[in-house]
Amino acid sequence: MPEIKVTPLGAGQDVGRSCILVSIAGKNVMLDCGMHMGYNDDRRFPDFSYITQNGRLTDFLDCVIISHFHLDHCGALPYFSEMVGYDGPIYMTHPTKAICPILLEDYRKITVDKKGETNFFTSQMIKDCMKKVVAVHLHQTVQVDEELEIKAYYAGHVLGAAMFQIKAGCESVVYTGDYNMTPDRHLGAAWIDKCRPDLLISESTYATTIRDSKRCRERDFLKKVHETVERGGKVLIPVFALGRAQELCILLETFWERMNLKAPIYFSTGLTEKANHYYKLFITWTNQKIRKTFVQRNMFEFKHIKAFDRAFADNPGPMVVFATPGMLHAGQSLQIFRKWAGNEKNMVIMPGYCVQGTVGHKILSGQRKLEMEGRQILEVKMQVEYMSFSAHADAKGIMQLIRQAEPRNVLLVHGEAKKMEFLKQKIEQEFHVNCYMPANGETTTIFTNPSIPVDISLGLLKRETAIGLLPDVKKPKLMHGTLIMKDNSFRLVSPEQALKELGLAEHQLRFTCRVHIQDPRKEHETVLRVYNHLKGVLKDYSVQHLPDGSITVESILIQATAHSEDQGTKVLLVSWTYQDEELGSYLTSLLKKGLPQST
Amino acid sequence: VCVAGYGQSGGNEILLLLPPPTLQAKETQGLCPERDFKVECGGFSNRPVYSLKHVPDTSLLVTSGPPDSSLQVWQVSAEDSDVIKAVSAIPTENGTGQPWAKIATISAKAPWVLHGSRLNSVQVTEVESRKNVYTAASRNSEELSGLAFLDCNTLLLCCAKGQLCLADLRQPRSPLEAASVPSAPCGERWCMGVGRGPQGSDSSSQPVARLSSGGLLTLTDVRKTSESLASAKCRVPPPGSGAEFLCVSWAPALEGCLAVSGFDGTVHVYDARSWDSSGREAEPVFIHKGHAFGGAGSSGDPPLVTAHTWHPQKPRTLLSAASDGSLHVWDWVQSCGNC
Repeated sequence: MPEIKVTPLGAGQDVGRSCILVSIAGKNVMLDCGMHMGYNDDRRFPDFSYITQNGRLTDFLDCVIISHFHLDHCGALPYFSEMVGYDGPIYMTHPTKAICPILLEDYRKITVDKKGETNFFTSQMIKDCMKKVVAVHLHQTVQVDEELEIKAYYAGHVLGAAMFQIKAGCESVVYTGDYNMTPDRHLGAAWIDKCRPDLLISESTYATTIRDSKRCRERDFLKKVHETVERGGKVLIPVFALGRAQELCILLETFWERMNLKAPIYFSTGLTEKANHYYKLFITWTNQKIRKTFVQRNMFEFKHIKAFDRAFADNPGPMVVFATPGMLHAGQSLQIFRKWAGNEKNMVIMPGYCVQGTVGHKILSGQRKLEMEGRQILEVKMQVEYMSFSAHADAKGIMQLIRQAEPRNVLLVHGEAKKMEFLKQKIEQEFHVNCYMPANGETTTIFTNPSIPVDISLGLLKRETAIGLLPDVKKPKLMHGTLIMKDNSFRLVSPEQALKELGLAEHQLRFTCRVHIQDPRKEHETVLRVYNHLKGVLKDYSVQHLPDGSITVESILIQATAHSEDQGTKVLLVSWTYQDEELGSYLTSLLKKGLPQST
Repeated sequence: VCVAGYGQSGGNEILLLLPPPTLQAKETQGLCPERDFKVECGGFSNRPVYSLKHVPDTSLLVTSGPPDSSLQVWQVSAEDSDVIKAVSAIPTENGTGQPWAKIATISAKAPWVLHGSRLNSVQVTEVESRKNVYTAASRNSEELSGLAFLDCNTLLLCCAKGQLCLADLRQPRSPLEAASVPSAPCGERWCMGVGRGPQGSDSSSQPVARLSSGGLLTLTDVRKTSESLASAKCRVPPPGSGAEFLCVSWAPALEGCLAVSGFDGTVHVYDARSWDSSGREAEPVFIHKGHAFGGAGSSGDPPLVTAHTWHPQKPRTLLSAASDGSLHVWDWVQSCGNC
């Protein structure tokens, strides 16, 4: 049975190190190459030794596909391609290709410069790695080689995130990466056509959550910001240049407009330039509303949000500032944080995950006394809030996607098996498909039933349809033919044609059966009896009595001879070709019943 | 929080949801990283689930629903699985064709379930052994709309026509007496809400509230069911199809407050301390309109609130569910000027 093999790489049940190996129709594809942000040692990288113990990875893998720029999906890519060694193609969407290296470099800086690690990829490695990248467009079929092709679908979630369909021969797999089934303010919702893959691979990290409504979440965020600003405090929101920042800016702008608020909102210039640049470049990746308004005005030229100047941080009075980088580990956001941390009227809202070792991570863990450079202690009196607006699919989202794509099997990664039994049953019951949940390192084999297209020769089709009654469109019709595999194709032809094409000689099979009947009369009288009997019974067939004493029924020959030892017994020889098997068998059993007395 | 579906065509889910930390803690927190509900466990029910009750101090749930008055018992959260499994069914004699059973649970002497669809089919059954502990002696086939344990020996039954009956488990032979709602208009359906004081306290200290399909609310002392202590009229639209979702409940941590739902997509909260016996219209303290503005726009009928309950610790927090599948957890702020 043809099969698809899937192995999520890495150890443990941890989330955040997406890397899945898929074997399909003899092709090997690696889906994502993520890093685990919580570990500082080798555990942060997937276990690539699983792929092949010896031998080059380039020989073994046909391609690598990266779904989006989050580090838990692409963070290990430079390590994999430059330090472990892979020279084959790496596919990702255009925005991902543009943004990945920025994030990787940022992360490299924190790890090496701030934390002093040595066994890590270098800036040059990141550049070399990106040279191997082939960028793809949405819904563009890309031929990796003669048999393997891939296609990207819109996934929502972040700018440039895609779901990938991988097709080899008649088998296909869809990998979702991270996706979101509900549109937000700056991105649309994931979408896929009814491509009916043999297997759909989906992340299930959030599968057991039911998200509360976006409205509630946003309202709470706005309430906190509003309250702080109303009492004269300052709100710092550290963000990465791309991602939730745009979402939150649009949210605040709309709120400020509606509530007619006067407090200033700023974002650091680095942010504006980069964001504007990428959103302009990849405008087709944003949602409908943004695309429509972009023509009239730049979405990131806000009315209430202005560019920030360092000096503004010392201004009295309330304000809101979006500043990079997102984890408060360096740069402007950290500078502003140090100025504002001592005042309890102020607030810092962390909008995402912070890596261990960063100031962001420390304050989220509850630390309120931080050691800065020069052994200075910073006392944090400002309010620290954490709020995640990350857009992931929950159980409802997973069900929706399955409904859209109609896969034959579903595989969920990154969930805890015993906490997923209910979802597994739900999927199996509603869609009547198998649902698999392998642990990291565990291989799942999915058997597929690929359809093999076969051409039927016109001659054969005409001949078979000519026999018997007119075909009923609703009933299946049984046909006989010979299947030949020639020149990489399958054809159904008549046996004669098959023999001719293959240059084989035809062998004729003839069956002969002896039937004993009791008849003391002479042979020719027995023959006459048999002839009359058969003529009477087989009215639809041509029954003939030949001059040489034999009987023919169609092309079946019947001869009678006396039994060598017993004159009272006659032996009927019934002889037929393989093609007349049915009639031959019928005749034999008919004659075995004996002749009626009257003839 | 346990929720279940009541679709007629099977495939209903029972879900055990873990609320996010903000809703578990006593104080209101700020922004919490975890804002989502987690599906702890889930199960599948062939029948529509019309009533769902947890058996206290156990990991069992009891449900009931058409087509008959039998009960289904479920096991929640085994260590190694998140599936809610059906463990047994409690059948009822001559149960087929009867309306679905109303249920109440208690775990005083043992885990018990009080159930029945009519006055003459009221029983108390031990949940695990399915042994019958008590059967009510009544010839009356009045349909029930609710039942409750007032304490481990006393039962309170409410008929659909509004009558209240008290029964004592220690006296199974004595017939039930039904006391009607004083001066109630005919043709209305009634349901009741029983106060639940802190464990061990005398439940009969709080009056029983009864709600009619016409919006009338009466408060009655269980010790004297023939009289009403106070009554008021809710400002609600007359119910369209039926009164099957009518629900009235006392706040566990807010004295004198009760919540009413089932007429439309709103939940009303009233302060009953100011009521007298005149039965005139009362002004709600708060109206939750969230369900009416919820979901998918104007397609289909407007949602109807199917059930509501109070948060056991947070005084002004309620949970409500509606016919469009929405679950809301909400509270209200007391306006300035009130105590």
